[in-house]
Amino acid sequence: MWDRYAKDLLTFLQAALCSRHNAEDVLQTVFVRIVRKRHRLAGARCLDAYVYRIARNEAYRLVSRRKRDRKVQGTTESWLIVSESNREPSDLAEQLQAALAQLPQTQREVIIMKIYGQKTFLEISSLLGISQNTVASRYRYGIEKLQNLLGNLSL
Amino acid sequence: MNEKDFENHKIEHLLKRAHLPEPSPLLKEQITAEARKVWNQTSLEIPWQIPIRRLAASAAAAVLIISIANFSSDHTLERWRPGDVRITKEQPTDLEILPEMPYRPFVRHMLSVNRKPSMTDASALRNYTKRVWQVLNEMQQNEVSNQPVPDGGRSRLFPAQPVSDSYS
Repeated sequence: MWDRYAKDLLTFLQAALCSRHNAEDVLQTVFVRIVRKRHRLAGARCLDAYVYRIARNEAYRLVSRRKRDRKVQGTTESWLIVSESNREPSDLAEQLQAALAQLPQTQREVIIMKIYGQKTFLEISSLLGISQNTVASRYRYGIEKLQNLLGNLSL
Repeated sequence: MNEKDFENHKIEHLLKRAHLPEPSPLLKEQITAEARKVWNQTSLEIPWQIPIRRLAASAAAAVLIISIANFSSDHTLERWRPGDVRITKEQPTDLEILPEMPYRPFVRHMLSVNRKPSMTDASALRNYTKRVWQVLNEMQQNEVSNQPVPDGGRSRLFPAQPVSDSYS
């Protein structure tokens, strides 16, 4: 289970929460929940979608709890890594993080799953339980917003 | 490829220059230890327990909903209920100052009867009925005696025609 899901789930959770620390906490909660509800795994129609649904629910629960407690999101925490010699890595990472954090959560999830999780629109649609067209439109709108936000960044 | 797609590709390329960190071995160790602990603590749920649990939860929810509905209904209709009904008896002095009203002797009699203790035996009930009949008869006689008698015993419907000698 770990080898199959840990990397993709952590990517997805970092996209949803914009925080590596929170993503790791939620990842642990997800695995514990999977173990506790292990009798349902056999009955799940699509195991991948089931696991992603758990991860998504847990991420939303954390976000709503954070909103209820009125805790500010830790924007200073770095969850993207840039390793390049010709540019200040932390500078680019911070700008990308800030731009991604401004996107709606649904668009951010799709973009990160597509670019960093290297999944196709079809795979994302089956994992999130939404249509392929919705995934594509969310991706397109997200990229357009990022283009506006990162337009001044030299490529 | 138009300009828009080219711009989108540039953004994708920019995003791909960064990457997300993979889960560390320490995190793996921590999470697998926690999951193993939960695995040992929780027994595998028997499938037949699940529908029974759902049934119990549904029944509890139904009882709760009905209770809330009853409470809400009582609370809403509370203002429409009449308050405490108080029975007051009219004092005789009040009756004396009442303006002239029809059936006054009967009303007086009923009030006097109401002041008396309640009747329990049949003879008292019979006497009471007789008295009521008597009062009603008196009232009827009074009404008959008070009516004006039509002139000459003629019907009141057709007034008397003046006698005129039209044939003369």
